[in-house]
Amino acid sequence: MSNIFKKILFIFSIFVFTQNLIANEQIDVKNKLLDKMDKIIIIVQNKNIPISKRNNKIIDLLTPTFDFELMAKLSLGKKAWKELNAENKKKFTKLYVKRMEKSYSSKLDKYSNEVVEVKEIQQPKKNRIYLITDLVNNNKKLEIIYKYYKPKNQKLNKDNWLIYDVEILGVSILKTDKAQFKEFLQTNTIYALMEVISK
Amino acid sequence: MLKLLYILCLALVFFTGCSSKDISQINASTYPQEKKLTTDEDMNDELFDEFEDDTKTKDIFDPFSGYNRFMTSFNDKLYIYALTPISRGYNTVIHYEIRKSISNLFNNLQYPTRVTNNILQAKFQNAAEETGRFVLNTTIGILGLFDPAKNYFNLEAHEEDFGQTLGYYGVGGGPHIVLPLFGPSNLRDAISIIPDSYLNPIDYTNREWFTLTDTWWTYLGAKSYEYVNEFSLNVDSYDRLKEDSIDLYPYLRDVYEQYRDKQIKE
Repeated sequence: MSNIFKKILFIFSIFVFTQNLIANEQIDVKNKLLDKMDKIIIIVQNKNIPISKRNNKIIDLLTPTFDFELMAKLSLGKKAWKELNAENKKKFTKLYVKRMEKSYSSKLDKYSNEVVEVKEIQQPKKNRIYLITDLVNNNKKLEIIYKYYKPKNQKLNKDNWLIYDVEILGVSILKTDKAQFKEFLQTNTIYALMEVISK
Repeated sequence: MLKLLYILCLALVFFTGCSSKDISQINASTYPQEKKLTTDEDMNDELFDEFEDDTKTKDIFDPFSGYNRFMTSFNDKLYIYALTPISRGYNTVIHYEIRKSISNLFNNLQYPTRVTNNILQAKFQNAAEETGRFVLNTTIGILGLFDPAKNYFNLEAHEEDFGQTLGYYGVGGGPHIVLPLFGPSNLRDAISIIPDSYLNPIDYTNREWFTLTDTWWTYLGAKSYEYVNEFSLNVDSYDRLKEDSIDLYPYLRDVYEQYRDKQIKE
């Protein structure tokens, strides 16, 4: 009888151990994000740093967590991406990353004491984690979901979990960009698109 | 016996990975011709397939795109050249706290709309909370000027309108329509303004029940004031939203439809 009990306990402990590993992964991702946000807030609140330098510092901090290259690719869509030659692929990615950085920097300029609170962590697949957060200011909450994936092979100078999409109040950056690019390319060339996003 | 089982378990748990690897190696060496070189193209295909669900965009029914484009640029000019300067002027004269209170007041008046639509969607808990909010804010919050329900009683607002109620029962958005002044909408949400307005005490028709305004002019005045006051609280929001657009009309249309989908799902 006691043998059976021990066996069950053993199998159960293995089960707990593996579950624990999954939970740890989620907590790691969460802590990393909150840690980054704290660092960003400290930089933003320091009024002695000139704005351009401040923005560069923050972008350096965020770059290892975001897979901008993947976002560029996905937002252009399979068909349009495949039609580009290697050089233009590189060029488009570079312009897309610059555009994201610019957009993020301009949002930082409007920062006024918001705090990030993680309210839920979801793991819809083994290699996906969604951090559901609220950006809280003056009792007002803005729901932002950070969507992470784990690449098969860790990328150079990148974290092992990477953000590939951000959803603000249900509006996904990836989906919105994809729809925009698709519609634009129906009547314009990819060169015109690159011209527009470089502005 | 127990030891044997332990070893078996350990072997099962920790070496399954290794054993499957062994089999694959055997296969690879036995049938080398089947070994495929993964090219950049294959990797790209795999990547796009993996993220297909994340990038799937809804095709929006848009038969009025010509008119919509025109109305979007009309609204854009209106926001830039009329509403923004008016709101900025208003902001410098009226303190934020006062504007916030006025917004609370108008918001409190929309309680009948919210509670009805919560009930219509069988969200009884939310309807009860809305009622609690209305009672607290109308009394302690002085006719809704303040929001003690949220600040002291932790009662959150549950915004629901008739468009969301219809969406909840599976009614699709229909063609996208950009409304003058109010911006992006669709057939479902535009029509829903009518039943919602019946529940609003700011109204222009002669009703049997209590309304705050009775004539067109008082109605229009109250509505415009509510609109400008609301805009003044978020003057920069529109500009900030616009920054990420490549082509304003489809961008706003998409943002609106995604946002409404999210509201309906909640």
